Amino acid sequence: MSELVKEQIKLVLDGKECFCEKGEYLYDVAKRNDIFIPVLCRSDAFDDHRACCRVCIVEVEIRGKSKVVTSCVYPVEEDCTVYTQSEKIKEERAVVMALLAHRAPESEIIGGMAQGMGGTEGFARLTPLEAGKCILCGLCVQACDSLGTGAISTVLRGTEKRVDTPYGNPSKACIGCLSCANVCPTGEIVFEENEKTRTIWKREFELVFCEECGALMGTREMLERAAAETDGEVPKVCDACRKKAMADEMMHTYRFV
Amino acid sequence: MTKRTEKILVCCGTGCIANGALDVAAAIEAEVAARNLDVEVSVDVVRTGCSGECEQGPVVRLMPRDTMYYRVKESDASAIIDSLEGDPVEKLLLKKGGVQVEHMDENPFYALQHKVVLKDVGIIDPLSLDDYIAHGGYEGLKRALEITPEQIIDEVDKSGLRGKGGAGFPTGRKWRTAAGYDVFPKYIVCNGDEGDPGAFMDGSTMEGSPHAVIEGMIIGALAIGAEEGILYIRDEYALARDHIQKAIDSAYEAGILGDSILGTSHKLHLSIVRGGGAFVCGESTALMASIEGRVGEPRAKYIRSVQRGLFDHPTVLNNVETLASIPTILRDGGEEYAKLGTENSKGTKVFAMVGKVKHTGLVEVPMGTTLRTLIYDIGGGIIDDRHFKASQTGGPSGGRIPESLLDLPVDFDTLTEHGAMMGSGGMIVMDDRSCMVEVARYYVDFLCEESCGKCTPCREGLRQMRAILTDICEGRGQEGDIELLERICHTMEDASLCALGRTAANPVLTTIKFFRDEYEAHIKEHRCPAGVCAELTQFVIDAAACTGCGMCMKACPADAISGEKKTPHSIDQAKCIACGSCREACHFSAVLTEGRSA
Ligand SMILES: Cc1cc2nc3c(=O)[nH]c(=O)nc-3n(C[C@H](O)[C@H](O)[C@H](O)COP(=O)(O)O)c2cc1C
Ligand code: SF4
Ligand code: SF4
Ligand code: SF4
Ligand code: SF4
Ligand code: SF4
Ligand code: FES
Ligand code: FES
Repeated sequence: MSELVKEQIKLVLDGKECFCEKGEYLYDVAKRNDIFIPVLCRSDAFDDHRACCRVCIVEVEIRGKSKVVTSCVYPVEEDCTVYTQSEKIKEERAVVMALLAHRAPESEIIGGMAQGMGGTEGFARLTPLEAGKCILCGLCVQACDSLGTGAISTVLRGTEKRVDTPYGNPSKACIGCLSCANVCPTGEIVFEENEKTRTIWKREFELVFCEECGALMGTREMLERAAAETDGEVPKVCDACRKKAMADEMMHTYRFV
Repeated sequence: MTKRTEKILVCCGTGCIANGALDVAAAIEAEVAARNLDVEVSVDVVRTGCSGECEQGPVVRLMPRDTMYYRVKESDASAIIDSLEGDPVEKLLLKKGGVQVEHMDENPFYALQHKVVLKDVGIIDPLSLDDYIAHGGYEGLKRALEITPEQIIDEVDKSGLRGKGGAGFPTGRKWRTAAGYDVFPKYIVCNGDEGDPGAFMDGSTMEGSPHAVIEGMIIGALAIGAEEGILYIRDEYALARDHIQKAIDSAYEAGILGDSILGTSHKLHLSIVRGGGAFVCGESTALMASIEGRVGEPRAKYIRSVQRGLFDHPTVLNNVETLASIPTILRDGGEEYAKLGTENSKGTKVFAMVGKVKHTGLVEVPMGTTLRTLIYDIGGGIIDDRHFKASQTGGPSGGRIPESLLDLPVDFDTLTEHGAMMGSGGMIVMDDRSCMVEVARYYVDFLCEESCGKCTPCREGLRQMRAILTDICEGRGQEGDIELLERICHTMEDASLCALGRTAANPVLTTIKFFRDEYEAHIKEHRCPAGVCAELTQFVIDAAACTGCGMCMKACPADAISGEKKTPHSIDQAKCIACGSCREACHFSAVLTEGRSA
C-alpha cells in the first residue's frame, strides 16, 4: 500500500462530519455524503459548471465568519461548517425559485420546485412571462458545445437574454442530435419526428434507418459527421447489425478452417 | 537673446470639443501666424485635455500670466492675442460675486482641488511626450528601474493607494500577490471601460494625460514581472483611444516601451482592446473574457485573477485612475502621497460631478473631503439655489446619499458604513425636484439592459424590480411592495454571480432606507412628493404668486396654459400631460404640484 496521503479537509455538513480533498467542489462532497442540495444548471456530463441558476447556494462558515456560496463551483480549501438549510438559505433559495418560476411559467418541474422550496407566499405580486419553460440554465448550449457543434448559444444580454441559433435562423452547424433537448431540465426544447424526418431548432433533418433491421440510426448529418471524424464511410447498417454481420462472417470463416 | 515664451492652453477635451474648441484653437493659431508674433515672443498654442469645468468651456488659459478665459468663441481669437500684453478680455473672465477673476486659483472650483492624477491634464499637450517629460513625466519609471520589484511594491504599500475602480482593494497588496506567482507570462491590464452613466473621470485622464497611465502600467509590470499589457478602453471613447495609441507609439519610438525599457533588459509591450460595449464588461472576469475574444460574461470564480486571470495566467487589473497615481507615488515617494487623505483612504479621488449643481465638471480632491465641500464650495451649490435632496455616487452600483450625510468625509469606508458608497467617482447631484423612486427605477432599467443576464437573481430580480418600481411610479403600487423589493434585493446581494448583480440592489435599498416616506406616499397616497411621476402629479398655478409673465405658457408643449398678460394664468387639466416644463420655466415659484384626485 503506497497511497499518497492527500491533504484531508474536515467539514461539518448540516451537522454531519465529512471529509474531502482540498479543492473538491462542495456540492460533490455533499452528494457523496447523501446531503441533498438542489441544482439546475449543473450536470455530471460536464467538468465545468456555468453556476448561473444559483439554487445550489449554501452558507459556509469559516472561523466564525459566514458567507453564501454556490456549492456547485465552490472549492473547499479549508475546514468549514456548512449549512444547506439555514433560514437565510431557505429564504434566498425561495426567492430564486420564485423568480425562476415566473420566468418559466409553463414548466411544471420548476413550478413544483418553487412550491416545495418556499411556496408562493408573498410572490403573487411577481410578473410571469407570457409563456415558456426555459430557465436559461445554459445546459443545452454546453451540451452542443461539448460535441464541438456550437449550433446554439445564448444571445442578447440582460433581461432579453435567450438561447437561440445564430440570428434565429436554422443553424447550418446543427446535426439534429437532440443532445440539447435531452439535457434540458425543463423540456423547453421541442422537436418533431415522423417516419422520415426530424425537426429541431426550425431545421428539418432526414432520418437514416438501418438497411438490415430498419432501426433508426440518426440523422444523415449525424452519421456524416461521425464518419468524417473517423475518416470512414457513412455506414449503411446499424451498430448491432454490423456486429452481427462480423460475427456471422467469423463463424463462416472458422467453419472452413 | 532668448525669446519670451507665451503658452496659450486651449482645452480640447471631449466637452470643449463639443463646444467648438478645435475651431477656437485653429483661430488662435491663425491669428498668431497672421501677426507674425514669433519674432519677439514664441507663442505656443497647446491643445490640452479637459481642464475640468467643461460646462464653462471652451476654456483657454494664458501662461505664464495665468489668465483663464471661459466660453471662448472663434471670434475672440484676436482679443485674446491682444491680451497677451495688456489687460485681460473682461467678457471672457469668470464673474464671482460681481467681480471678475482672472487666475485659476481664484476660481473656487479649482482653488479647493488637489490634483495628483489630473495634475497635467489641461496643462500639457497630451500628444507630446516632451511636454509630459518636461512636467516630470517618466521620473517615476526611472526611479522604479533603479530599485527592486519588492521595493516598488513597498513604495506603493506605503502610499496606502487603494483601487479607484470602486472596490478600493489595496493596490500594493494586489501587486504583491501577483508578483508571488512564478507562472509566466503574466499580464497587467488597465480597466478603461468606464460604463457608469454620467462618469467621465477615466476618459478625461486617458485623453488628457495618456503617458501617466502608460507610465503607471510600466511600473506595475516591473513590479509583478509582466511583459505584456493591455488597455481595455470603452468602445465610445474614440478620443481617449486615439491619444493612448499615439502615446504608446511615441513611447515605443523613445525606447520607453518595447524589448528594452530605457536601455535596460526589461520588456513591456502594450496594446489596446476595444470594450465590448456593455456596462458589465468593466467587471474583471467579463473584461478578461472579452479580451480573450469570448462573450463579455462574468465567470463564477473562487480563484482570483492575480492567480489565474487573463488566459488563466496571473493578471493584475487596475483602474485608469489607480495607474495614473503610480508615477507620482514612485517619483515623490509613497509617504508623500499618504499625507493626503484619511486614515484608511489615502491620496485623492477624482469625481465627475453632474446634475443639478451649478458648476459641473471634473474635480480631484483629497480623500475625506465632505460632500458639502464638493457640492457647495467647489460646485457652487444647487442650481437656482434649490434644496439639495440626494447625491448618487458610484453609478448604478452606488447609493443615494441624503442631506443628513453631507458632512461625512467621502472615502472608501465612511459612506459604506452608512449604507451608501463612494464608488468609482461618478456623482449625480439631485435637487428636491427629483423623485427617488423614479431614479431607482431609472438605474434598475439601465441594469436590465446592461447586466449580462447570465444568472437568475440579477436577470430575473432586475426584471421584477423594474416591473414593481414602474407600477409604483405609475400609481399601481401595492401594500407589501417595499418588503418584496427588499427580499429581492437581499437575495441579489448574496446570490448573484458577479458584483454587478450583488451591488445592483444599492440604488433601491438606499432609497428605501433614506426616503421610505417617498415610496409610501406613492403607494398609499398616490402622490409623488417631488412632482415627477406624471400619473401621480397634477400641476396647478398659485394665483396669489403668479405675476402673469407668460413664461409657463411659452414652455408648455401641450397648449394647456391660458391667461391674460399680468393676470394669473391657469392650467387646463384636460390638456396637461404633466411634463413639468411650466414649473421649470416659472421664476416665481407659482407652479405647484399636488397629488391627483382619482
Ligand atoms: C459591473 C461592473 C463594472 C465595472 N466597471 C469598471 C470600470 O468601468 N472601470 C474600472 O476601473 N473598474 C470597473 N469595475 C471594477 C473592476 O471589476 C475592478 O475591480 C477594477 O478595475 C480593479 O481595479 P482597481 O483595483 O484599480 O480599482 C467594475 C465592476 C463591476 C462589477
Ligand atoms: S440538436 Fe443541434 S443544437 Fe441540439 S445539441 Fe445537437 S447539434 Fe446542437
Ligand atoms: S432550453 Fe432548457 S437547457 Fe437550454 S437554457 Fe433553457 S432550460 Fe436550460
Ligand atoms: S450578476 Fe448580472 S451581470 Fe453578473 S453574471 Fe449575473 S446576470 Fe451577469
Ligand atoms: S411662469 Fe409663473 S408667474 Fe409666469 S405666468 Fe406662469 S405661473 Fe405665472
Ligand atoms: S405640466 Fe407640462 S403640459 Fe402641463 S401645463 Fe405644465 S408645461 Fe403644460
Ligand atoms: S447548480 Fe450551482 S449555480 Fe446552478
Ligand atoms: S473638456 Fe474642456 S473643460 Fe472639460
